[in-house]
Amino acid sequence: MALLEVEDLSIGYRTRLGLHRAVEGVSFSLEEGKSLGFVGESGCGKTTVGMSLMGLLPRNGEVLRGRVLFEGRDILSISEEELRLLRWKKISMIFQAAMNALNPVKKVADQISEAILAHSSSVSKAEASRQVEGLFQLVGVPKERMRDYPHQYSGGMKQRAVIAMALACKPRLIIADEPTTALDVIVQAQILEETRLLQEQLGISIIFISHDISIVADVCHDIGIMYAGELVEYGSREEVFDSPAHPYTRALLSSFPTLTGNREMLKPIPGEPPNLVDPPKGCRFRERCQEASHECSLISPAWTELFPRHKVRCIRFERKKGPQ
Amino acid sequence: MEIKRYLTRRIIQILVSFFVILTVLFLLFRLAPGDPVSRMIDPSMSPEDAEHLIAQLGLREPIWRQYLVYVKNFFTGDFGYSFHYGRPVLKVIWEKLPNTLLLFTSSIILSALVGIFLGKIAAWNKGKPLDSWMTIGALVTHTVFLPWLALILIWVFAYKLGWFPITGIISEEIWLDPDAGALAKALDVGHHMVLPMATLFCIHFGSYLLIMRSSMLETLKEDYILTARAKGLRESVIRDRHAAPNAALPVVTSVGLSLAFSINGGALTETVFTWPGIGRELVFAVSQNDYPLAQASFLLIALVVLAANLVVDILYAYLDPRIRY
Repeated sequence: MALLEVEDLSIGYRTRLGLHRAVEGVSFSLEEGKSLGFVGESGCGKTTVGMSLMGLLPRNGEVLRGRVLFEGRDILSISEEELRLLRWKKISMIFQAAMNALNPVKKVADQISEAILAHSSSVSKAEASRQVEGLFQLVGVPKERMRDYPHQYSGGMKQRAVIAMALACKPRLIIADEPTTALDVIVQAQILEETRLLQEQLGISIIFISHDISIVADVCHDIGIMYAGELVEYGSREEVFDSPAHPYTRALLSSFPTLTGNREMLKPIPGEPPNLVDPPKGCRFRERCQEASHECSLISPAWTELFPRHKVRCIRFERKKGPQ
Repeated sequence: MEIKRYLTRRIIQILVSFFVILTVLFLLFRLAPGDPVSRMIDPSMSPEDAEHLIAQLGLREPIWRQYLVYVKNFFTGDFGYSFHYGRPVLKVIWEKLPNTLLLFTSSIILSALVGIFLGKIAAWNKGKPLDSWMTIGALVTHTVFLPWLALILIWVFAYKLGWFPITGIISEEIWLDPDAGALAKALDVGHHMVLPMATLFCIHFGSYLLIMRSSMLETLKEDYILTARAKGLRESVIRDRHAAPNAALPVVTSVGLSLAFSINGGALTETVFTWPGIGRELVFAVSQNDYPLAQASFLLIALVVLAANLVVDILYAYLDPRIRY
């Protein structure tokens, strides 16, 4: 059985303008020790999916439909206290903007050992401190810096400290939300490489959330492309990155520079994602899609399986496969 | 070390402020209508004494010489003689200052602690009835007219119920009793302090509560609060150890700022309760045209406020490592 199975997950935010349907019918599964990346532009619902897996939706957020099975248990229906015990012990998180993820008035080491102590009553303070030392070594922060405050760290060190914190309770799943966005390209590459190595060494599953498809392709086994709250393409890294099917995926790939590929003009994707309070009928990408036809506004595309590990939601592929 | 630089800078700023205050006070007293000689010299003095004092204060010299004399006199602790008491001003003030400091430090610390605690609870229960009641309560007590509140407290608790003394700081029968121990004396002062402290507390804790509440609401939106929650910490730990210490920082600043204003209220409180402190002395000196006493009281109050601000700065550096390192 998969470590994590998400079925038909829909999440909405109550706003003054009405229910903002941030995530619509998302399903995926993640095996032990594997990594999965979600890619999409801001507001596509990728962070909302990540937050819901830890029960950390903001107050106005609400799961409308669906199930999240973690180790076979539906974590959407367990009590707040059970959820608290599950957090960090089983699922931890590397936050977007590590700069702000650390409390400025507490020493970095204390913020990590705090998590250890909160989840195992048998561990003494000294023991927790030793564990933090080990974690610092693991992520490559000198242990003399343990007693420092976050503002004394450089951006890269903060990021490493946040990774060390995520590893503190030896979780089975880590959700990494834009973990390297605020860093310069060189530090970013180092940290991604180290994260990948750590993940392989420790056998932890990772869900990687980013707007940058090349980063996700670097670290993840599987990739899910999200647009306007929906998954539009899902498959193995090789399939999605090398033979992208959905017009949005292709547009994403040509809007980012590559280090190794030929120098080409970057193509921005014109237009804006649709308003999710009142989402359009049919395909949500059609207004920005170069290949859209009249049909796209009538029918909401269903999943089409291209290969055993590659599927896409675009009407053009439905047609190729013939009538269902 | 950063802390050294920070404190040096603050001390220099405070010294500059103090010199400005010193100068402004000098100008105010010289610019006031009337003859400075008649203001600084007690009409009841003998002509010889008056001449001596005029020479000492340099009142017949040009104004810049007078200023230099004034500054010199300040640094040598020579504030002249009080008209009313006929004693050196410094001695008079020196006796009153501890009473004021005692009353104010304790009521400010108490109201800040209570304000921080209640503000934290209010923010944590945002939108619930508890929060609304606390906010309304804070606004009401904060805007109440201080002398009115003081008189009501005296009327109810001292006059009607007789729980507390009506005026003063000590009971003579206890302090004159040779057998009374230090504890009995301290308790006696404490007993006298309850009502004036309650008055000051009522007026001040509300503003700290409101500042803490809004600061806490801002802090709760921070990413590190989300981190703390994701770490599976208990809600009480998130509130007390992650949010509150950060949220309390603006309150500490406001304690420093509100001190200056609380001294004004202090004159009123001290007058209503006949608390023998420096605020009451100031009111008295002004109404009696006791210029040397008034001038020195102003200066001393300024000095105390500046010193308190320095203490707040040190406290701030202690609470916020971003300043310390």
